[in-house]
Amino acid sequence: MSDATERAVPPEVPALALRGLGKTYGDRVAVQALELEVPRGRVFGLLGPNGAGKTTTILMCCGVLTPSRGEVWVDGVELAREPLRAKAKLGLVPQELALYLELDAVQNLEYFGALHRLGGAELRQRIDWVLELAGLRERARELTGAYSGGMKRRLNLAAGLLHRPSVLVLDEPSVGVDPQSRNHIFETVRTLAADGMTVVYTSHYMEEVEQLCDRVAIMDGGAVVAEGGLPELLAAHARGGLELELRGDVEAGARAAAALTAITRVAERAEVLRCEQPAELAPLFAAIEGAGAKIARVDSFESNLEAVFLRLTGRALRDDP
Amino acid sequence: MSALAATIKKDLWLLLRDRGALMSLFALPIVFMLVFGSIFRFGADRSEPRALPVWHADDDARAAVIVAAIERGGLFRPERAASAEAARARVAREDVAAALVFPPGFDPAAGRPIELVIDQGAPLQVRGPIEGALGAAVRAALAPSAAPAPPALVARTPPGISKPLAGITSFQVTVPGNGVLFGFFLALTVAMSFTEERRSGTWRRLLASPVSRRAALLLKLGPFVVIGLLQLGFLFGVGALVFGMKVAGSVPALMLLSLAVVLCATSLGLAMASLGGSEKMLGGVGSVVLLVMGLLGGCMVPRLVMPSFLRSVGNSVPHSWALDGYYAVLVRDGTGVVDLAPQLAALLAFAAAFAAFGAWRFSFEDT
Repeated sequence: MSDATERAVPPEVPALALRGLGKTYGDRVAVQALELEVPRGRVFGLLGPNGAGKTTTILMCCGVLTPSRGEVWVDGVELAREPLRAKAKLGLVPQELALYLELDAVQNLEYFGALHRLGGAELRQRIDWVLELAGLRERARELTGAYSGGMKRRLNLAAGLLHRPSVLVLDEPSVGVDPQSRNHIFETVRTLAADGMTVVYTSHYMEEVEQLCDRVAIMDGGAVVAEGGLPELLAAHARGGLELELRGDVEAGARAAAALTAITRVAERAEVLRCEQPAELAPLFAAIEGAGAKIARVDSFESNLEAVFLRLTGRALRDDP
Repeated sequence: MSALAATIKKDLWLLLRDRGALMSLFALPIVFMLVFGSIFRFGADRSEPRALPVWHADDDARAAVIVAAIERGGLFRPERAASAEAARARVAREDVAAALVFPPGFDPAAGRPIELVIDQGAPLQVRGPIEGALGAAVRAALAPSAAPAPPALVARTPPGISKPLAGITSFQVTVPGNGVLFGFFLALTVAMSFTEERRSGTWRRLLASPVSRRAALLLKLGPFVVIGLLQLGFLFGVGALVFGMKVAGSVPALMLLSLAVVLCATSLGLAMASLGGSEKMLGGVGSVVLLVMGLLGGCMVPRLVMPSFLRSVGNSVPHSWALDGYYAVLVRDGTGVVDLAPQLAALLAFAAAFAAFGAWRFSFEDT
């Protein structure tokens, strides 16, 4: 599938390798010395709260930011030594809608393709391919400023794929899109991975990463705090817990529970709380009922990536630096 | 298609869909040319001689002789006022710039001068020519010689300055003046384009593509050289075809000078972009800076009428060199590339300095 492999790369060579990669801004350390390998042909999830250093890391990987220390290797090519060769193997889909909204989809793709030295019939073929992949063929000649959020996101993804990179780096690709477009993006990522493309996927949405990624690294404070396959991470860092369904003053009950244990709310059902299994149940139940809520149901649940994430990165609110 | 060609094509499309940029780069200069060209009329299209209200007693033959001499001079059109007060009132109303009142029995030699009614608070540049011309005409009329005197002064252009074109119009000055003023507004378009690309994320995409950082910078700037040349080509084209502007010197010299102006404006844009700031700040501060530079450079007011201090300051902006070059090539017969060497050298030096500052200060990391 990928074009960017101009010679056969031994399978043991990682698609992307970070060796002691770090970035500092003055006294502030944005990314500590990262050691990370992304295996070939996998979908690799990079998770972390705001300010964890995910975007800085991927921008260093793509040659947009210069590392303060360390190395980036793409398919066995060191980025600092052979930047043009290494960057030709990478496709970046930035978090922003990095498109010219005053141009139509074809005009955007023609320009981005030319930056990757594509032209003529080959470029037209690639444009057809990515438009098909993004489901935008019928709307290709409309100004992208008139596109819906989901269409813009899909075109953003298409622009990163034109040159068929070995490694596709997606920075929060599904922010602000409707479920249909999100699903389309997932399907595209799965198709690309099935064809052998390596995908690095950052997201705030745990369920996306759970669905898509073979391996996950969780970053916090500029460092990788956990890395591995999903089962490994769950086994190493997660515990099951309780699911409580409340009645009455649900909010007061939730506040009382939060004072005793870590809780999460189930997005679609405000009355359902999830909490880690406490050492003793009686004080928790008493606190909830004392706050004016009634416990209508108690269940146990298996842990998930979100629980692992919160356990590793804490519950304090994070704001962008 | 090469990356540069694709970038030029993309930026031309973006320009065509940006009404604000089209307005400031193409439409507004034409409006300014038209307005200033109509205000500062001289040469072949000059307006009527200035109206000059005069009052003297009906039986004052000496005054009538002086008035007739002034009329023959061709610069003024004397108009009899009903009274001295009526003549003064027209100046007070700013209906005319000056009036003459001949008191009965006037005799300048005996300390009874003719009254020149004029706003003494008016700038010297306005008062001076009127006072000088009327003073000379009155003196000549008061002391007529029997035989015509040989001319005391003869005007000659010194060696090194080519002969000016005959029959030039005000557009010969207002077209290059506004061309230079708005040509340098390209710098603002360049600087804002960097800010916009950083904000939208397309700058990240460019840096992540297989081009070096230096090439990325050149890819950003290259299209604006083309846009700048199109802009000046359009403005001078309209100047020549619509406003009758003529090119006295060589067309290659005009083109080379325009290229130097565009390179200078594009480099200035890079320098402005390297200072950072939001689009709003750039739009505000950048516009003011460019207007002041244009003012000092003589784009709005001829530098000839500026005090010597401001004329010296004007040399520190590229606009003045560009205007000197355009004036030479548009007005002076036979001006060629060699004659424009000082202006071309100065503009290229400005371009190099702006580019060096911009490249040194520009932050690729500030994505």
